[in-house]
Amino acid sequence: MIATFLAVTPTVSYTFGQAGSDLWQVAPITAVTATLLVAMVVDLLLPPRRRGSAVAVISVVGLVVALALAGLRWSQGGGHSAYSGFATGDSFAIYFEVLFSVLGILTVIVSHAYVRRRDFLESEFHVLTLAAVIGMMVLGAATSLVTVFLGLETLSIALYVACGFARRDTMSQEAAAKYLLVGGFASAFVLFGMALVYGASGTTLLPEIARRIGPDQASNPLLLIGVVLMGVGFAFKISGAPFHQWTPDVYQGAPLPVTAFMSVGTKAAAFAMILRVFDYALPGVGGEWQALLAFVAAASMIVGNLMAIAQTSVKRLLAYSGVAQGGYMLVGVLAGGNSGISAVLFYLFAYLFMNFGAFAILTVLVTPDGERDRLEDLDGLGFRHRWLGLLMTVFMLSLAGFPPLVGFFGKLFLFTAGVSSGWTWLVVIAVLTSVLSVAYYLRVVVHVYTPLAEVPEVDRPRGPMVAVTVSAVLAVALGIVPFVIQGAGVMGAGPLIAGR
Amino acid sequence: MLTALWLVPVVGALLVGVVLPRRLARPVGLATALVTLVLALAAAVAFQSGHQGYQYEEYVPWIRDYSIAYHLGLDGISLWLVLLNALLTVVAILAAGDRVARRGGFIALILLLEGGMAGVFLAADLLLFYVFWEAQLIPAYFLLWQWGEGDRANQAATKFVLYTLVGSLLALVAVIGEYVYAGGGAHTFDLATLAKQPPSPGIQFGLFFLFGLAFAIKVPLFPFHGWLRDAYAAAPVPLLVTFAGVMGKTGAYAMLRILVPLMPHPVLWWDWNAVVPILAVLGIAWGAFMAIAQRDMKLLIAYSSVSHMGFIVLGIFAFNQQGQQGAVLQMVNHGIIVPALFLLVGWIAVRTGTRDRTRMKDLAPRMPVLAGVFMVVTLAALGLPLLNSFAGEFMTLLGAWQFSPWLAVAGCLGLLLAPVYMLRLYQGLMYAAPGEQLPPPGDHGHHGAHPAAETATVARTDLAGGELALLVPLLVLMGLLGLYPYLLTQAMNSLGYPLPVPWR
Repeated sequence: MIATFLAVTPTVSYTFGQAGSDLWQVAPITAVTATLLVAMVVDLLLPPRRRGSAVAVISVVGLVVALALAGLRWSQGGGHSAYSGFATGDSFAIYFEVLFSVLGILTVIVSHAYVRRRDFLESEFHVLTLAAVIGMMVLGAATSLVTVFLGLETLSIALYVACGFARRDTMSQEAAAKYLLVGGFASAFVLFGMALVYGASGTTLLPEIARRIGPDQASNPLLLIGVVLMGVGFAFKISGAPFHQWTPDVYQGAPLPVTAFMSVGTKAAAFAMILRVFDYALPGVGGEWQALLAFVAAASMIVGNLMAIAQTSVKRLLAYSGVAQGGYMLVGVLAGGNSGISAVLFYLFAYLFMNFGAFAILTVLVTPDGERDRLEDLDGLGFRHRWLGLLMTVFMLSLAGFPPLVGFFGKLFLFTAGVSSGWTWLVVIAVLTSVLSVAYYLRVVVHVYTPLAEVPEVDRPRGPMVAVTVSAVLAVALGIVPFVIQGAGVMGAGPLIAGR
Repeated sequence: MLTALWLVPVVGALLVGVVLPRRLARPVGLATALVTLVLALAAAVAFQSGHQGYQYEEYVPWIRDYSIAYHLGLDGISLWLVLLNALLTVVAILAAGDRVARRGGFIALILLLEGGMAGVFLAADLLLFYVFWEAQLIPAYFLLWQWGEGDRANQAATKFVLYTLVGSLLALVAVIGEYVYAGGGAHTFDLATLAKQPPSPGIQFGLFFLFGLAFAIKVPLFPFHGWLRDAYAAAPVPLLVTFAGVMGKTGAYAMLRILVPLMPHPVLWWDWNAVVPILAVLGIAWGAFMAIAQRDMKLLIAYSSVSHMGFIVLGIFAFNQQGQQGAVLQMVNHGIIVPALFLLVGWIAVRTGTRDRTRMKDLAPRMPVLAGVFMVVTLAALGLPLLNSFAGEFMTLLGAWQFSPWLAVAGCLGLLLAPVYMLRLYQGLMYAAPGEQLPPPGDHGHHGAHPAAETATVARTDLAGGELALLVPLLVLMGLLGLYPYLLTQAMNSLGYPLPVPWR
C-alpha cells in the first residue's frame, strides 16, 4: 500500500495545465497567499510612515478577492480534489474559505485602528493575520493527513507570534509562551496520532482511509491509540475541557484583535479538521472517537459555563464561554450526517458574527496605555454610547441563544441533530448549562446598563464600529432568515457524507 | 393581517426606542397600541364562530429542511387573549405617567412585550411559538431590571429570567423531541399535524414533563412560583398591567393549546394528567393562604393571582368542555381584574406612601370614588355573581366536579378564602372601627387620641379623571362579561385544531 502511494508522485508528469487547474481548485488560498507575498514586498518598498495603511488596504483587497473567488466557485457548484488528492476544492472547503475570508476582512479592519492606537508595527500584524488565514483555509481544504498538519502548523505558528505582539506587555509575552508550549504539545499529539493511523491504514489520504478502515478494524490497538491521540490534540485546538486550561490565559494576554481572530478562527479551523478527519475519514471507528468527544463535549459545557460565571475580565469570560460553545458544537460533530455537520457549519458562521462582534466592541474601548477588558470598564456603555450598548446586548443575547437571533437557530439545529441521532442526554446537559450561561451573558449586559456617575469621553474609531455594526446586523438578519446560511451549510456538508 | 398584530407593536417599539425623540415617545407609543387594538377588534368583529380551523391564516415556509413555517392563525381561544393583550397594553402605556423615568425606553419595551405575547397566542407552528415564547422574556427582563422598584430589582429580574429559562430551555428539548418522535415520523413543527399523531405514551410522559415545567413556571403553578414574589414586588405598576395580566396567560394558553392536545396520554410511571390538577388545587389553597398572610398590598394581589391561576389550570385539566371553556373565560376575566387591582393598589400606595395595608385605614371618606371602584373590583375578584369572575370559576369547578368531585370540593376552598383576604383588605383600607376613625378631612385637630403616628399620612386626593378613565373600560368589561359570558364562549366552537375532548 505504501508502495502505491509512493508510486503516484513520480509517474505523474506535472504540467502547467495541471498546476493551473490545481491552483484554481484552491483559488481563494492562492489569492490570499499572493496577497501575503505582495504585502511583504510592499512593506519593504514603501517609506515606514505609509507602510501600515498600505498593507492593510492590500490585505483587505486580497481577502475580498478571495471571498469573491470563493463565491464564484460556490456558484459553480463546488470543485473536486486537487494535488493528487492532497487537497480539494469541494463545497465544504469553499464554505470555510468564505468564512475565513470574512473573518480576515473583519480582523484587518479592527486591528488597523487598534494597532495605531497602541503603537505597534502594523504591516507585520496584518501579514501574520494573512498567514493564519491561509493555514485555516488549508485546514478546510485538506484531504490528507499531511495537508491537515501543514495547515495546522501554518495557522499555529502565525498565531504564536501574533499572541506575543505586544512586546512590552508581560501578559502578552506570557500568552505567547504558553500558547507556543501547549500548542506545540497538541501538535505533537496530533502528529503522533496521524503516524499511528497511517501505520494502521497505510495511507494518508482521507477518502482512502475511509475506504480501508471499517468497523472490523475497531480492535486494532494501533488505530485506536492513533485516534485517541488525534482526538486529544483536536480537543486542545478547539479548547475543549479538560484540555482548555491554556485558553483563558492566552485569550487574556493576546492583543484584542488576535483574541477576536483566533477565538473564532482557530475554533472554526479545528472543527473543519475534526469533521474531515473523524466524521469523514474515520466513521468506521465512530464508536471510539465518539466516546472521547462526548466526554469532551459534556466536560466543556459544564466547565466552560461554570467557570465563566466567576470571571471579572470580559476576555476571560468570553474565553470560557468559547469553551462551552465548543461543547455545543461537538454535539453536531457527534450527531454527524447531513443534519449534524450542516448544524456545525451553521453554528460556526453564527459564532463568527456574535463572538467576533463582542470582542470588536472591546477594541473600541482600547486606550493608548492598554486594553480595558474588566467588566467594570463596560459600566455605563449603554448610556454614553447607546448604539454600542445595544449591539453588545445583541451579541450577548445571541450567544445566550435567545430567539430571534442567529445563536438560537444555531443551537436549535445542533440540538435537533443531537436528539435525532440519540444524543439526548448530551443535549439535556447542553440545555441545562445554557441556563448557567445566561447568568454571565446577562451580567455583561447588566454592566453595560449600569449608570455611571461621570461619563468618560470615548472616541470611536471608524473601523471597529463598521465591523461591529456589520456583525450585529448579520447576527439579527440571519436570525430572521436563517435558511440562507442553513442551506449553504447543507451544501457544504454534502461532500463529507456523499456516497454514504 | 395577523402579522400586523405583532409586527405593529414591534415596529412602534423600534420607532419609540431608537428613532424618535423623547417627547414623541408617549403619543407614538399610545398610537401604536391603539392601532393594534383596533386591528384586534376588527379581527374580532369579522370573526366567524362555527368555522373549523384557523381564521385569517398566514402560511409562509421558513426553514424548509426542518419544515419550519411562519404559520399564524387565530381561533376562538387566541382571539380573546390577543384582544386582552392589545387592550391592556393601551392601559399600561396610559398608566405610565410622569413618574416613570426614561419613559421612551419603558414604552418601547412594553410594546415589544406586547408583540412577543401576541406572537405566542397567534403561532400555529411549534417552533414559531417557541421563538415568540422566548422573545417575550427579553423585554420583560429589561423592564423588571431597569424600571423595577427597590434596590433588589436586579436580583429579582435575574431570578425571574433564570427560573423561566430553566423551563423554557428544557422546553426547547421537548420542541425538538416533538419534531423527532411525533407526527408519525413526518418531522414537522405544525401544531395541527402534531396534535393528530402524538408520540407513544412513554415519550409523551417525558415531553409532558419538559413542556409542562416551562408552562407551569410561567403561569405560575404551585410549586413553581418561586420567582413571583420578588418579581411582582419589584415590578412597577404600569408593567404589572401586562406582566400580571397577560404574561401568566401565555403559560395557561400553552397548557391548553400545546400540552393537552399534543400529549393527551402522558403515562409512564404515573399519569401527568392526574398530577397537574392536584398541583392546581394545592396552588389554589396555597395562594389563598399566602394572600391572607401578606401585609404588602401588591404581594397580596400577587398571591391571590397564584390562587386564581390554579382555577384556570384545574379547568384545563378537567378534560371536559365546561372546565376548559371556563378556564379560557377565566384567563380573560383574571386578565381584566388583576390589572385593575394592581392599578388601584398602586394609586393608593402613591397617595399614602406605603404598600403596607396595616398602616392605613379609613380611606373611604377621603377618596369615595376610589373606594367605590375598589369595591366593585374586589367583588369581581372574589367571584360575586353578575360580575365576570363568577361564570368562569363556576364553569371550571363544574368541569372539575365531573372530573373528580374531591378536587372540586377542595378547589371551592379557594372560593371561600377569596372573600377573606379581599374583604379584609378592603375593610382595612377603607374603613375603621367606630371610634377609631381618622379625623375628618380638613381637621388637623385631635391627633393625640388616635394612633395616627403609626398610620401613614393620607394625601386627600381622590381618583383623578384620567385614572378613572383608565379603569372604565375594565369596569365595563367586568359587568358585561359577568352578565353575558356567552359573548366569549360563543366563539369557542371555532378552534384551529381540535382538542382531545372536542368542544361543541
